[in-house]
Amino acid sequence: MRYGDFTPFDIVLLLQGLGVSLALFVSTTLIGLFIGTVWAVIRFYRVPVLMQLVTFVAELLKNSPVLVQLFLVFFGLPAFLKINVTPTEAAVITLSGNSAAFIYVIAVSAIESVGRDQIEAARVFGLTRWQILRRVIAPQATAFAIGPLTGLLVNQLQVTSLISVIGVMDLTKVGNILNLRTLKPFLVWTAVGLLYYLTAKLVTYAGARFEKRLRAHTAWKGL
Amino acid sequence: MKFDLSILAKHIPFLLEGAWLTLQACTLAVLGSLVLGLAIGAMRTSASPLLNRLAAVYIDIFRNIPFIVQLFFFYFGLPEIGIYIDAFTTGVVALSIAGGAFTSDVIRSGILAIDPGVIEAAQVSGLRKITIFRKIILPIALRASVRPLGSVFINLILTSSILSTITLNELTGSAKIVASNTFRPFEVYFVLLVAYAALTYSVSILIGMLHRYLNRHQEEGAV
Amino acid sequence: MISITGLRKSFGAATVLNGIDLEIRQGEVVSVLGSSGSGKSTLIRCINGLEKIDAGKITVDGFDVSKPRELSEARKRSGTVFQLFNLYPHMTAVQNVALAPIEVLKLPRMQAEAEARELLHSVGLTERADAYPSQLSGGQRQRVGICRALAMKPSYLLLDEVTSALDPEMTSEVLSILAALAKTGTTMVFVTHEIEFARSISSRIAFLDKGQLIADLPTEEFFSATGMALPRVAQFLSKMRKD
Repeated sequence: MRYGDFTPFDIVLLLQGLGVSLALFVSTTLIGLFIGTVWAVIRFYRVPVLMQLVTFVAELLKNSPVLVQLFLVFFGLPAFLKINVTPTEAAVITLSGNSAAFIYVIAVSAIESVGRDQIEAARVFGLTRWQILRRVIAPQATAFAIGPLTGLLVNQLQVTSLISVIGVMDLTKVGNILNLRTLKPFLVWTAVGLLYYLTAKLVTYAGARFEKRLRAHTAWKGL
Repeated sequence: MKFDLSILAKHIPFLLEGAWLTLQACTLAVLGSLVLGLAIGAMRTSASPLLNRLAAVYIDIFRNIPFIVQLFFFYFGLPEIGIYIDAFTTGVVALSIAGGAFTSDVIRSGILAIDPGVIEAAQVSGLRKITIFRKIILPIALRASVRPLGSVFINLILTSSILSTITLNELTGSAKIVASNTFRPFEVYFVLLVAYAALTYSVSILIGMLHRYLNRHQEEGAV
Repeated sequence: MISITGLRKSFGAATVLNGIDLEIRQGEVVSVLGSSGSGKSTLIRCINGLEKIDAGKITVDGFDVSKPRELSEARKRSGTVFQLFNLYPHMTAVQNVALAPIEVLKLPRMQAEAEARELLHSVGLTERADAYPSQLSGGQRQRVGICRALAMKPSYLLLDEVTSALDPEMTSEVLSILAALAKTGTTMVFVTHEIEFARSISSRIAFLDKGQLIADLPTEEFFSATGMALPRVAQFLSKMRKD
């Protein structure tokens, strides 16, 4: 066996990489979901200053390359604040922020999708703004948001591949290592691509299932 | 450490060179993905089940695999089969292929939105298929697609930063060099982030203007 | 001559045309009447090849519309005007009218556009020649639609409920143009709900009922005792007149 050949252990390596990608994808999505929703609520309440700040930050994050955001956090922050940032920390911060920005946009349009007349009706009944948000808007907005959210998640899964550039041992980084060692780029990148593809399909499928269940539920309630 | 942008002044010409390369790559890639997107979009809406299927597979693959994996596939893979092209060409080709998948989706929905009666009118007047596509379907679909195409192209600009990972010193690549030479990564990447945001923002304004210009006769409404 | 023999057409389980035989000779104006869903519009769409026929044969001046090779020849000989106008939204009135002459007849652009302006002038749209469809009223749009069909100098004009989407005022605008065309000897197949108008311009009436041609009579006979002797025709005419 030549030094450069594939070994059975490479499969484990690839799966480990996939595990790292998935772990970061799931955790940053959850954090992003939380932050993005909080931002949307800030906007719903029209909190002065904060609202403008949130909109500005979200726009900046949406309209700049994730790679640059990653570099800013990983290389920039330590130099500027004299703190230590590990690649994984930088990845979590950047991906969470980026997800939050896109989730914020989806959440805002989901809230806006609920008709003004409903909100006014609820207000007439004496519901507080918080009650309206929780009881009237949230259930409908969630159903509305699932579709766009699924699309976003497939996208964010792919965005995680960029953290390989700052040295996180994710699926793409494993691909890089195998590529350099075996010098069989077609094989390596096809395998890596396939793993990403299958994961993306899984996310799409799960989103569709979830949306169907949610819609069936609201339809049933409406009867 | 204080935030000091003045140290960047003498590196501006170098950064502008990178920006110029980004502009060239993006312009070529926009054209490339437009051509590919039109071809794939036409296939996706064609009556032939085979062409339709092929186009669907193309879109599915390139939308669900991270761009950086696609890029590495071409960058490391092509020399393997005896194709030696430089990083710039590889980058433009990869961007065009990935962008083509997104563009074709936009074109497809633009085509599907056309009133079938308009196409029937063209058919019965004896126009050939290719003429109907060029003179009727394409102009109508493209006019309706200006905004969504704009978002695809803005994404293309952001994605082009990934070309820095294959040794191309475009805007992000040259910023990396400046960051390591000046030991001021925070300032450099912050400026870079704002520069990209400004770039995409101006592009989106241009797209809005183009949309209004091309659809100026549609908005006046019927008498 | 447009010749239709044994035409059958169904959509799924629904049979829309069930054995139609009809001939339209040069110079005739044939109105196709019948209640909604009787298959009138489908008949037109079979003649211009927009629907594939299931059985039978349609020829336009001898060209078989179900043969792809001959369809384009058949289409050059007929012009269609649609219920919903179907104008090209991104082109001005002149461009709408001139497109097919330029692309199919290979006329020079200048000549085609000059002829288009001439046609638009003849239907009273001189001023609106450079307007886009969205800037025109329904009646104006349909007049452009008629010009577009006429621009190809067709031997036959197929009119598919061309006034159904128009209000009464605009309807009369369009009908007066059609009446003028009928006088000049243009051959027309006129699918319509406008019974009185059909009576005034047609040389023959074809009456469709549930996919079958149950009357094919000279206009005067159709509206006389001969037509009234057919129960479905009598029923239809009395119902339409009441409305």
